[in-house]
Formats: sequence, structure tokens, C-alpha cells
Amino acid sequence: MSDVTMTPTSPPNGASSRTSPLQWVRVNLFSSVSNTIQTIVFTAITLGLLRALLGQVFSEEADWTSVSTNLRLLMIYNYPADQIIRIWVSAAVVLLAAGLSLGAWKVEPGYTVGRLGRHLVGLGLFCLVTRLLLPVHAPDTVRTWLIIIGVVSLVAGVVVQRADPDGDRVMGFGTVLSGVALTFLAVLWLVPFGQYGLVDGVLVAESGTTVASSTKVPWTVLLIIVVASHRVGIILGRALGRSLRAGLAAFWVVGPAFVIFVILRDPAFDWAHVWSTDIPIAAMFALGGAAVLYFVAAPGKTEVARALGAMLFAFALFNWVAAFFGWYPMLQKVRISFLIFAIVVLLVPAFAGDRSTRRRVAGGWVAAMVVFHWLLTAINTESTLVITAPPFLGGFVLTVGIAYYVMLASFPLGVLLSLARTSKLPIFRVMSTGYIEVIRGVPLITVLFFFSIMLPLFLPKGMGISDLAAVFAGYTVFSAAYMAENVRGGLQSVRRGQYEAADALGLTTVQRTSLIVLPQALRVSIPNLVGQAIAVFKETSLIAIVGGFDLLRIANSTIPNQPDFLGQKRPGLLFISLVYFVFAYSMSKSSQRLEARLKDAQAR
Amino acid sequence: MSIADQALTEDLASRDDMIVCTGVSKWFGDFQALKGVDVTVKDREVMVVLGPSGSGKSTLIRCINRLEVHQEGSIVVDGIELTNDTRNIERIRSEVGMVFQQFNLFPHLSVIDNVTLAPVWVRKKSKVEAEQKAMELLERVGIPEQAQKYPGQLSGGQQQRVAIARSLAMEPKVMLFDEPTSALDPEMIAEVLDVMKDLARGGMTMMVVTHEMGFAREVADRLVFMESGEVVEVGTPEHFFTNPREDRTKLFLSQIL
Repeated sequence: MSDVTMTPTSPPNGASSRTSPLQWVRVNLFSSVSNTIQTIVFTAITLGLLRALLGQVFSEEADWTSVSTNLRLLMIYNYPADQIIRIWVSAAVVLLAAGLSLGAWKVEPGYTVGRLGRHLVGLGLFCLVTRLLLPVHAPDTVRTWLIIIGVVSLVAGVVVQRADPDGDRVMGFGTVLSGVALTFLAVLWLVPFGQYGLVDGVLVAESGTTVASSTKVPWTVLLIIVVASHRVGIILGRALGRSLRAGLAAFWVVGPAFVIFVILRDPAFDWAHVWSTDIPIAAMFALGGAAVLYFVAAPGKTEVARALGAMLFAFALFNWVAAFFGWYPMLQKVRISFLIFAIVVLLVPAFAGDRSTRRRVAGGWVAAMVVFHWLLTAINTESTLVITAPPFLGGFVLTVGIAYYVMLASFPLGVLLSLARTSKLPIFRVMSTGYIEVIRGVPLITVLFFFSIMLPLFLPKGMGISDLAAVFAGYTVFSAAYMAENVRGGLQSVRRGQYEAADALGLTTVQRTSLIVLPQALRVSIPNLVGQAIAVFKETSLIAIVGGFDLLRIANSTIPNQPDFLGQKRPGLLFISLVYFVFAYSMSKSSQRLEARLKDAQAR
Repeated sequence: MSIADQALTEDLASRDDMIVCTGVSKWFGDFQALKGVDVTVKDREVMVVLGPSGSGKSTLIRCINRLEVHQEGSIVVDGIELTNDTRNIERIRSEVGMVFQQFNLFPHLSVIDNVTLAPVWVRKKSKVEAEQKAMELLERVGIPEQAQKYPGQLSGGQQQRVAIARSLAMEPKVMLFDEPTSALDPEMIAEVLDVMKDLARGGMTMMVVTHEMGFAREVADRLVFMESGEVVEVGTPEHFFTNPREDRTKLFLSQIL
């Protein structure tokens, strides 16, 4: 019998390998003299740090009202208050897509009932320890609540853990989401931290109000949307599968841009211009391009495609040169569309196929062109928002928006750079190595400065670049170099035999790279890539130097400059540290889940 | 009579030439791995290449599908000359299948995806058609039930059989085998050799580098003995194992039999 069977056997009943808590403590913390000393020393240090932190949080000078009154500023900065419904709609759109995605991709954090029990016990112990370490002048409400939460958690935790001693009962992600949402809602609706109002120049808490009095309802709606869309995502995922996931993936590339430039910015479309110029141009590229691609995506048309692609590429480059010297006028978007079209035509032979494939290529092109041109038109149109001080994005929305799009754009750029760096052709190697080494040798601030202040000087007359675009471009260029190095590490881990097998089967270089080499290389690079993404998210604070009002700048300079809160930095900074931590930690955790899931599939 | 024409039986001599290597030389830097190799593989012939390690046998068959580039001499596969012209290389690769010592399956794809990848993307077949053919091939090599598994979940013998099915999916005219059983545990060698014997019986032109003497004796039409980059002797199995001509051949056989 030569087949390997894979039936797992379970351990004999009753002989669980789980040790009792007392045993665990004795073995792991106090097993030897040196171990005991280490335990005592590090516990003392940790408790000392916790006490210092609590001292800061509850210190007499620290006025947490500086954070609670400025939450809107921290989240959306100068966005006009009467248009705030747009913010809520945008959040709803993003959360809807997020819920659907989590369902469609069957994301399962593997949270078990036993784990929940252990976490509750941990929370309970933490609350009780914190209660013991509280400084003297901490408010009484906090003292009592810590004891209540501590004891309740501890007891609940023990009970829950008893219900699932081996940690086998897995809770579905939907359950976890609902639980988190309910807890959040309970805090929103029940906790009486109070709304603050100005009375005789002094901030006074209005009794009977809760912390989120003006945002309770929108938050509730948003949380319901997340939980419901997750459910729907699971159901639709079973029915539609690939098409749903493809659609969602497309959304995540362009959707946020739509949210920023169409929903949040509310451009005032000049409909006459749109109908006479923008739509015809878009239609020409979409339909004309689709026809060409349908023809060229047939098998056997490789030579035609390469020739046509080369000609178009030369034409596109010539357009840029002509624009620089001002030889003939051509709309920016037309130039860009020609370039994109040229690149797609060059790549199409690798993905040619039968009728249905060709239809999908053509259809995809039409959709991409429509979306692309709509976005370009929206970006180039004036906004109707009345902004007191540009830009229209600030605070947390700016941080997340910039970080998201930099991650999204620098990733493919980084992959291309690393492929160029390891390519056989010297010109690609030299250019990409030069790019990577120069960028890696220069601080981010320098790159941001160059793009916001120096670059506009180099552009031809009539071409401008908005602040936001400059920051985005500079940051993307910077981050791409680091992504490239991460991917290169992954590329080097792909065994030569894979290349040889792909060659022996007759795959072209493009097919070999995209179907065989990159999937394997990227799997290996995930930890590094996510680390880079987390760094991108946190380093958005440097945008402050080139004029952006991100989360850190608001907490560090805007709030301390307000007359009510002069010089009050610490509460704001502590708060945003928490925000940064929550997001960075979730990214890090999800990357671990992603790695585990990919490893399961390969089962090596 | 050139060494390549040695041991041609009447039947073999009447067939078309499938692979013709004439004076093939290859250098790795200063080291000459192949020294003027002349070999002809006829249509539907099973040729086994033997020799000590470092004799150039793997280099020779890797030259045939351009995984290595030869510097001198000519290689003609089914009438197509192997030059730097990428079109020729692509045509030759589409007619020549290769099975590697290390299997080289794609670990991120399931077994059936491994087998259908090339037909879909290179021959532009539809996914449905490719999967049908893939299942037939998996049945032919004896592991249809493993279709949805990943290579990492299979044993070595199963992986190599999947590799054979993957090459067969491209409907090649020639199959090259580079020590296909050398990385396998002894109990799994037989299942792979059975598949190869079945292929040979079905009339596939095969060029096999192997140390499995039993297989060579049973299935080969001709045997080629190489040493230090040269073809030392070519013969039929009966001639080769009972009455080899060259001294070096006799020495080699005494060491391994």
C-alpha cells in the first residue's frame, strides 16, 4: 500500500495535556532560582511601568476633556459640520465592503470559547491589579467600576472556560463581531461620561449625557451594517464565490478613491463639459480599446499584439515629450489613457484565450476605463465644500486615507521594481537598483519635501500638483523601494527548479512570473510586507511637516494651541498612541492569520 | 559507422529521427561538461542514458530543451533546430516534456491545478476541457483521488506521478526523464517505474537518465553509456549487460551490478 492516509488520531480520553494553573505557574515562572529571580524582577518592572502609566492617565494636570471635546477634530479636522452626513455615508460604504469581504473570504480568527474564557480571566485580573495600582487622586467612579468589571470578568471567565476546557469550541467570526459590536454599543449608549459644555468659560459636564451623544445613532447604524454585511457576505460568498471576490477586490482598489474624491469632496460637475468632452473621451477609450483587445487577445495574435503595443508605447512616450515642450495640446487624461492602453496591449498575449476569456478581458477594460475616467473627471472638478482651511482631509481620515493608498500603490510598484532588479536585462537592473538605493539612503521627510516643494518647479507650465497628490506620490515612491527589497527576499527563496519546470512546460516569462514565481515569493515576504505596511501607517505623521493635518499634528500642536487647553499634550498623545496601537496590532495579527491560512493550503 | 548509429536494429533504423545531437559540446566556464556528443533518438524509442556522476548525462538532456545552452554542435528535435531563436525554443519546448529528479511541482496549486496550468495558459484550452484531460491522466498514473490535494500532502512517489501527468497534459512527442526515481524512497520507486513502463509500451519516445538497471534492461531499446562528457558506448540491453565492448563500460557495470 503506497498511499499515505491522513486520519488524525485524538489523544486518549481524560489524559488532557493541559496543566492546572498552579502547575503552570510553578513550571514556567518559578522552576529554578534564576527563573524565580527573573520573574520577580520583570514583574516588578512591569507593575512599576503600569503604575507610572496610570499616574499619567489619572494625573491631576491631565485634563481628558481636551481629548473628549476634540474628538471630532481628531477624526475629521476641518470637514464642514453641515456636510458631516458625507463622513457617515463614507464610513458606511467602507464598513459595508469590509463586512462583505470578511464574509466572502471566510475570514475566521479561530477564536474558541476556551480562549474567550482565558481572556476574560486575564481582563479581570488586569482590572483588579490596576485598581491596586491606582494613584490616590483617581476618581471614585473609576475605582468602583474597576472592581466591578474585574470581579465580573474573572468569574465569567472561569465559568466560560469550564464550558470549554480543551479549547475546541470555535466561535464563528459572526459571533465574535456581534459580541464586539454589542459591547461597543453598550458603552456608547450606557456609559455616562457626559457631554461637556462651556459655562462661564469653564468646561462643565452636562449630567445625564453619554460620551457619544451626537454620534450614538450613526455608530449604531454602522455597527449593524458591519454585522449584517458579514452575514450577507458569507451567504453571497457561497452562491457567487469568485465573481463576488473579484468585485470586492476591484472595489478595494478604486472604492476608497471614490469615497474620498466623490463622496467626501462633492465635486460640482459641469454637466455641459462632461457631456461634450469627458464622456466622449472615456467612451472612445473604453469601447475602442475593448474592440482592439478583443481582437488581440485571440491565440496566435502574439506578434500583432507586441508590434501594436510597442507602437502605442512609443506614441504615448512621444506625447509626454511633446507635452513637456508644448508642441501640441493634449489632455492629461488622454495621455495617461494611451500609456495604460499600450501597457495592457503588451501584456495581453500572456493572458489570451478562448471566446469567454477574450470577452472578460474586453469587459474588464471597459469597466476599468469607465471608472478611471469618472475618477479623473471628479478629481479635476472643483469641490463644493466650504473649507475654512485646506486641505479638506485631516485628522484620522487623512492618516488612514494616505496610509491605505500608499500601501495599495507602493505594493505593485515595489513588485515591479524587485522584478526589474533581478531581471537579466542590465538596463532594468541598473535603473531599479539605482532607484532603490537612492531612496533607501534618504529620509522620508526629504522625499516628501522634494515632492511637495521642489517637484512643482520642475513640471511644465500648466501642470500643477495638489498638496495631497504630492504627498501621496512622494510617500508611494519612498515606500515602494522598501517593498521592493522585501519582495526581492521572497523572490530569492523560490527554488530554481520552479523556474525550470515552468520553462519546460512552455510558459512565457510573464506567465511564469505571475503564475508561479510571484505567488510563492509573496507568500514568503508577507511578514516583511505587513511590517512595512504598519510602518507606512505610523509614519504618516511626517505629513505634518509638509502641511498635512494628520492625527499626530492635531494632538501635538492644534489641541495644545487651543485657548481652553493650552499646553495640554499628554492626554491627546496618549489617546492617539492607543489608536495607532489598535490599528497596528490588528494589522500584525491579521498577517499572522493570513500566513497560517496560506500555510494550511500548502500543507508543506 | 558513427557511434550514434551503433546498435541500430533494422526496426529502429527504419524510424524517423526524433532527437539528433551532433558534436554537442558544452562548457561551464573552463570545465567542459560535454565533449562532442553524438546521439540519435528514434521515434517511439526508449533510450536510457547511464554513467557515473559528473559524466554529463543530465547536462545532455537539459540541453535538449534549452535548460542549458550548448556552445558547439547542433541539436535537432523533430526537425526543429535548437538555436537562440525563441520561436524555435518555444516550439521545441511544446513538444518535449520533462520530469525532474526533485519533482518541481508548484506547491501553491492543487494537484489538478498543477496539471491543468500549462494546457490552459499555453495551449489556451478551456478550463473544463483541461480538467477532463487532467483527470484522465491522473487515473492513468493511478492517483485520481488526490486531485484536490496539495503537493505537500503527497508522498514522493505520488508527487513524481503527478509530475509525469503534468508533462503528459501538454501532449508532448518526447519525454525526458532526469533521474526520476533518485530522490524517492525504495518502496516508492516501483510505482513510478510502472508508470514509465506503461508510457513506453504506449509508444512514447523517451530519453531516461537513471540508475535503475532493472528498468533499463526491461524497457530500453538502446542504452548509452557516458563518462566525463563523452559517449563511450551505445548498445542494446542484451549486448550491453552481457558483452560490453569498452573497458570503461565493463568497469562501470562491475561497480554497480
